[in-house]
Amino acid sequence: MSSYLLKRITTMLITIIGVSILVFMIIHLIPGNPVNHILGDYATEESIRELESRLGLDRPITVQYLSYMANAIQGNLGTSFITGYTVVEEIMNRIPITAQLAFYSIIFGSFLGISIGVLAAVKKNTIYDQLAMTLALIGISAPGFWIALFLILLFSYQLSIFPISGYSGFYSLILPSITLGLGTAGSIARMTRSSMLDVIKQDYIRTARAKGAGAYRLIFQHCLQNAVIPVITLIGMQFGYLMAGAVVTETVFALPGLGSLIVSAISTRDIPTVQGLLLFMGSIIILVNFAVDLLYTKLDPRIQYE
Amino acid sequence: MMKNKFGLISLFIVLLLVLSGCTEGEQSDSKEGSREVVVGLVSEPDSVDIHRTSSTGEANTPLYDTLLKQDFEGNIVPNLIADYEIIGDGKEVIFNLKEDVKFHSGKPVNAEAVKLSFERLVESSPFSTNAGDIDSIEVISEYSFKIKWKDQFAPFFINLTTSFLAPIDVSVLDENGEGFEKNPSGSGPLKLSKINRGDSLVYEPYEDFNWNDGGPGFDSVNFRFIPDEETRILEFKKGNIDVLLNVPYQYIKDLEKDSEVTIERVPGDVLSYLGWNNKLPIFQDVKVRQAIAMAIDRESIIDNTLNGEAKAVFGPLPKAAFGYSENIETMARDKYTRNIEQAKNLLAEAGWTEKNKDGVVMKDGKPFAVELWVDDDPANQRAAQVIQNQLMKIGIKINIAVKESAVIIEQTPKGAHQMLLWSFGWPDADVLNFLLFGKDKSKRLHYENEAIYSLLDKAAIEMDQDARLKLYEEAMEMLVEESPFVPLYVKENITAVRNFESFVVHPINGSIEWQDVKVKE
Repeated sequence: MSSYLLKRITTMLITIIGVSILVFMIIHLIPGNPVNHILGDYATEESIRELESRLGLDRPITVQYLSYMANAIQGNLGTSFITGYTVVEEIMNRIPITAQLAFYSIIFGSFLGISIGVLAAVKKNTIYDQLAMTLALIGISAPGFWIALFLILLFSYQLSIFPISGYSGFYSLILPSITLGLGTAGSIARMTRSSMLDVIKQDYIRTARAKGAGAYRLIFQHCLQNAVIPVITLIGMQFGYLMAGAVVTETVFALPGLGSLIVSAISTRDIPTVQGLLLFMGSIIILVNFAVDLLYTKLDPRIQYE
Repeated sequence: MMKNKFGLISLFIVLLLVLSGCTEGEQSDSKEGSREVVVGLVSEPDSVDIHRTSSTGEANTPLYDTLLKQDFEGNIVPNLIADYEIIGDGKEVIFNLKEDVKFHSGKPVNAEAVKLSFERLVESSPFSTNAGDIDSIEVISEYSFKIKWKDQFAPFFINLTTSFLAPIDVSVLDENGEGFEKNPSGSGPLKLSKINRGDSLVYEPYEDFNWNDGGPGFDSVNFRFIPDEETRILEFKKGNIDVLLNVPYQYIKDLEKDSEVTIERVPGDVLSYLGWNNKLPIFQDVKVRQAIAMAIDRESIIDNTLNGEAKAVFGPLPKAAFGYSENIETMARDKYTRNIEQAKNLLAEAGWTEKNKDGVVMKDGKPFAVELWVDDDPANQRAAQVIQNQLMKIGIKINIAVKESAVIIEQTPKGAHQMLLWSFGWPDADVLNFLLFGKDKSKRLHYENEAIYSLLDKAAIEMDQDARLKLYEEAMEMLVEESPFVPLYVKENITAVRNFESFVVHPINGSIEWQDVKVKE
């Protein structure tokens, strides 16, 4: 187990370094630079050069990268060129909202997706199955902004149950979490159904049924527990999609999370903020997937990492 | 196994509680009985520090009071400055401040404070050029100071009416000269009480501001940033927002049906124009440039893309700017009111006589096809499509390319564009010099004309305002004739409000006049 852990941690570190190089290259390669944004229409050649020098943008790109990484290792992700806040401050200000949103979405999406998936598998080839899979398809294919507006119009504007936008605690995150969770639920439902159908065919299920196991015990203890491994993998992978989906959801619901921050940072070419955020988000996704891998051993004792 | 599951669930719950506790819920769902004003805006200003931001707006300018101001007729009148005296040839001016004004920090707005503020402006503001080439600032007495320029700088007095040059209290800066964005101190009507990054800025009325009788008509102002257009409108319709700035055009009629809602319309000071890279060979012939100007129907663009909520402009300056001339506007209107036949004749005279199978005019076997850059604003993109259609009527083919603003700002000074749909706004005609047509300053239009350089340079140092106006008129006459760009329109600033006894928007600059705002009891 310890050699496995060491191997995984090394791979994680290499991946994070790869992510950092990729992010650094992309942000420097796309047209548009922060100096022009800061100085706006009134920039002169002299003021552009002076500001580039002050921000360290006139140094060779490799020097910029190495200096950035040396600081990043010490927890210093730099200071925003535009707002004057440190990137760590910006992340700490906004991570609670995005983390809660991602967390509630995963909970909602997993609960709904697994429920629908189990129902579809147990009632295979019936109207319930078709209905469940149609719902899953809608969840996957409906655009996030459309679902968000539909929910706002119905539950906030017409019924006044939830606030329309902004953050005011748990209550204000229910609609955004449903918006974000529906897409995840669709994918999880399809995966749960297919995995359950594989397990249902197994001999030990037939044996359990022959021994008189009740329907509830058969489905949830014997089938679902064994069918859940690929679903857990999918949930881990969905975390990355949730981070991307949060950009749209946070914009529509005016939530001050990481998603809305990254949109404004990219449009202003705020290099330290974009780099810091993408590195942070990339690291979180890698860590979540690592945690998911470790979870397998808990869910299925037959899995052992050597 | 059961124990593991229980542990996992407990961990989730703890994590959930920790996260919920990390961020306070700031907004209240109901504001009944309060005198809070909630203002809905599209985006957060990048900074509340006026020397650092490149985006001023309602959310950060009320922190600052200006040294001079424009009254509702557009005259420049005293504000923090009681009076000033121009000395000798105009390179030196003595300013006398009012004596009873304080910053939000409680420190006096005196000559020393204003000097330090100007020094920081020159050092760090993107708008430092609008203070002119300052040689020295000398404190004469507690409330008098003298500014000496290397050359006369006539636009300075109008520039002093903008927040960019308003005094800030530098005593609140930390030892590194930083931290103003977290603890700003100006002398404007609103004092910052809370920053919720990405969400809102909350202000309270500044008690020592020069309020009307009865004091401020509100207890607090909450600027909420809601980027999505639909969400912003729904918040306003639901009554959670009292002031909706920049109402999207397609919703105006709907909001006007609500008897509780008032729509305030003020002509903006930002002029949208169709420009091009004048250095490109295809735009060298003045007849080509005039033909393009003559092919444009501004009213059609305004009706089809802005629901009629804009004023057509033919001359180089918007009405709100000092230097605007009704004579020039009339002259340009007479010359460039849409005339397709004449435009076609001009193109033919310039040698664009043949046509290819698509109806595009050709010269020396090459079709007149150019790329038009436009930003990601949907209204601008619709305008670009109308222009594309109008220019096709005279055989000019336009290919529209949507670019991010950051790309347009970076690439156009390098001359990477052919045509662009862009805009500018400044209260003084000096904008023709420092932004549009000055020597080595024509970043978007790349227009070179020694006679115009000379006139604009002379106007910038002419301290006699009447003589200065004449110089600008002369320069604008040449610009109308030369047609190096096509001024299009000035959009209306449209604000929807409800629940006010009194709500006033400045008719020239469009800003909210907070001393005249009174919430309905």
